[in-house]
Amino acid sequence: MYICILKKISKMRLKASVFVVLLSLFFATSCKVEPKEINYGQDHCLLCDMTVVDKSHSAQYVTKKGRAYMFDAVECMVMKVNKDKNEDLMEFLLVADYANPGNLVDAKTATYLISEKIKSPMGANLSAFSSNETAKKFLNKNGGKLFNWDQLKIELSK
Amino acid sequence: MRYILVLFLLFTPTIQANTINVCSSCSIKTIKEAVQLAKDGDTIFIKKGTYKETRIFINKSVHIIGENYPVIDAENKTDSVFAVKADNFSISGLKFINIGMSHTKEIAAIFVSHSNNFTIKDNIAENVFYGLILQRAKYGVVQNNRVHGRSDAKNETTAGNGVHVWKSSHIRIEQNELIGMRDGIYLEFVDKSFISNNTSLDNIRYGLHFMFSNHNEYHHNEFKNNGAGVAVMFSKFIKMHHNTFHYNWGTASYGLLLKEINDADIFNNVFEQNTIGINVDGCNRINYKENHFIRNGWAVKFTGGCYTNIFEYNNFMHNAFDLSYNSRLNDNKFEANYWSEYSGYDLDKDGIGDVPHRPVKLFSYVVNKTPEALVLLRSLFVDIINFSEKVSPVFTPDNLLDSKPLTDPVNPIYE
Repeated sequence: MYICILKKISKMRLKASVFVVLLSLFFATSCKVEPKEINYGQDHCLLCDMTVVDKSHSAQYVTKKGRAYMFDAVECMVMKVNKDKNEDLMEFLLVADYANPGNLVDAKTATYLISEKIKSPMGANLSAFSSNETAKKFLNKNGGKLFNWDQLKIELSK
Repeated sequence: MRYILVLFLLFTPTIQANTINVCSSCSIKTIKEAVQLAKDGDTIFIKKGTYKETRIFINKSVHIIGENYPVIDAENKTDSVFAVKADNFSISGLKFINIGMSHTKEIAAIFVSHSNNFTIKDNIAENVFYGLILQRAKYGVVQNNRVHGRSDAKNETTAGNGVHVWKSSHIRIEQNELIGMRDGIYLEFVDKSFISNNTSLDNIRYGLHFMFSNHNEYHHNEFKNNGAGVAVMFSKFIKMHHNTFHYNWGTASYGLLLKEINDADIFNNVFEQNTIGINVDGCNRINYKENHFIRNGWAVKFTGGCYTNIFEYNNFMHNAFDLSYNSRLNDNKFEANYWSEYSGYDLDKDGIGDVPHRPVKLFSYVVNKTPEALVLLRSLFVDIINFSEKVSPVFTPDNLLDSKPLTDPVNPIYE
């Protein structure tokens, strides 16, 4: 009887330990769908193949499967999305906040400024802002035109 | 008639160029003061010494000459030292240090805009954000300048470019040395310009970078140890010759990146020890002649749709892959090149191999699909599949061959 209980416990322990191992394996291998850090100076733009160096104009999208792709300029990401019509497949669409270099923010809620005075890596003179107010400030200072995400896609497909 | 002549003589302005000296013991102690005093055509001599000045605006045709490299220290302030908007000016013999950095502003040692006919030569710029910026400029010469990037630029990707030219034409950039910048020389919307005899080293991104720039020529330059040697993107009618591209190593580094280029000529260049010698992406009507591809990972890699790329009389020597291809041959042509891998024979001794050479290895297709497979490169198995593919092509386009492979290299540079 005693032995039987002991066996049972050890069996349970075995089961539990197997479970724990499996669980930890699951967590270790499961790929969380989240944005990746951009490796500036190393990563290449998915569309134009240029090295991503500009922290105030970079962009990134992450697919629902969790693969992250970098862009050296916001216009490259917009053109890629326009070209492949794959916006629905994306978990994250992120653009660098021009007023806060190196900070990636949601592309769909960002405000965009196209201004001759602020040049961007691929010649569209496009920069993104997380807040509408900051964008307006830069608009007043430099001139140009503001866009939201949907307007921007149309503007760049012209 | 005589009166008219007399009148004409009376009212002809007397052209007299003055010289103004600037030094710590002179009556004029700052460059700013000298520039304010100067009239069109004057020469300003700056004597040896240290001048802590920025925001010097030049809007007249003056010639600024430094004697024994006077130092202009910008003290990392976020303003350019010279901001020039003038025709017929020159700046030479100065040493600029500590040009400040900004995320939103382009700050340079010399910032030129809306100017024609100028010369900027023999200057040194050290620890700078941007070296020279030219905007909407024409007929300018940038010669024999030495630009070193900021010492913190290796980790900091917010470095600027050595010579940055935007919306300009007829610019000559020659004999400059550009080290540790973002791009050594950057050209955007620049036409009809010549870039020659420059040395571009250790730059974070490219040694030379063309964007939307047509009808340009670059030759006799050296590009070494950059993130990638030269990127020519979205441009037409570019001549590239007698350049050296070497040691551009890295996971996806290139000697030369061609992206959507039409009607270019690439000849007499040396590509040595780059991860990829030339990456050709969506390019049409390009002639490659008498180039040397030596010990690269990939000598030439084609991606995207390319048409009428003609390779003649090039040397492909000791590359891991001579050619990588991911589509149909189209009307691209490889003829009469020297391939060090060629194992055919030449019985009639006319210098042309009697059996065609197939430069694309099957394994390069495998590596395109699965880059990790590269570890198998030197294995026996890979040799066997490459050989069997060579004998009877199944996967590689069977018309992708050099029907007249040369048995001796063309103008070999190494014995």
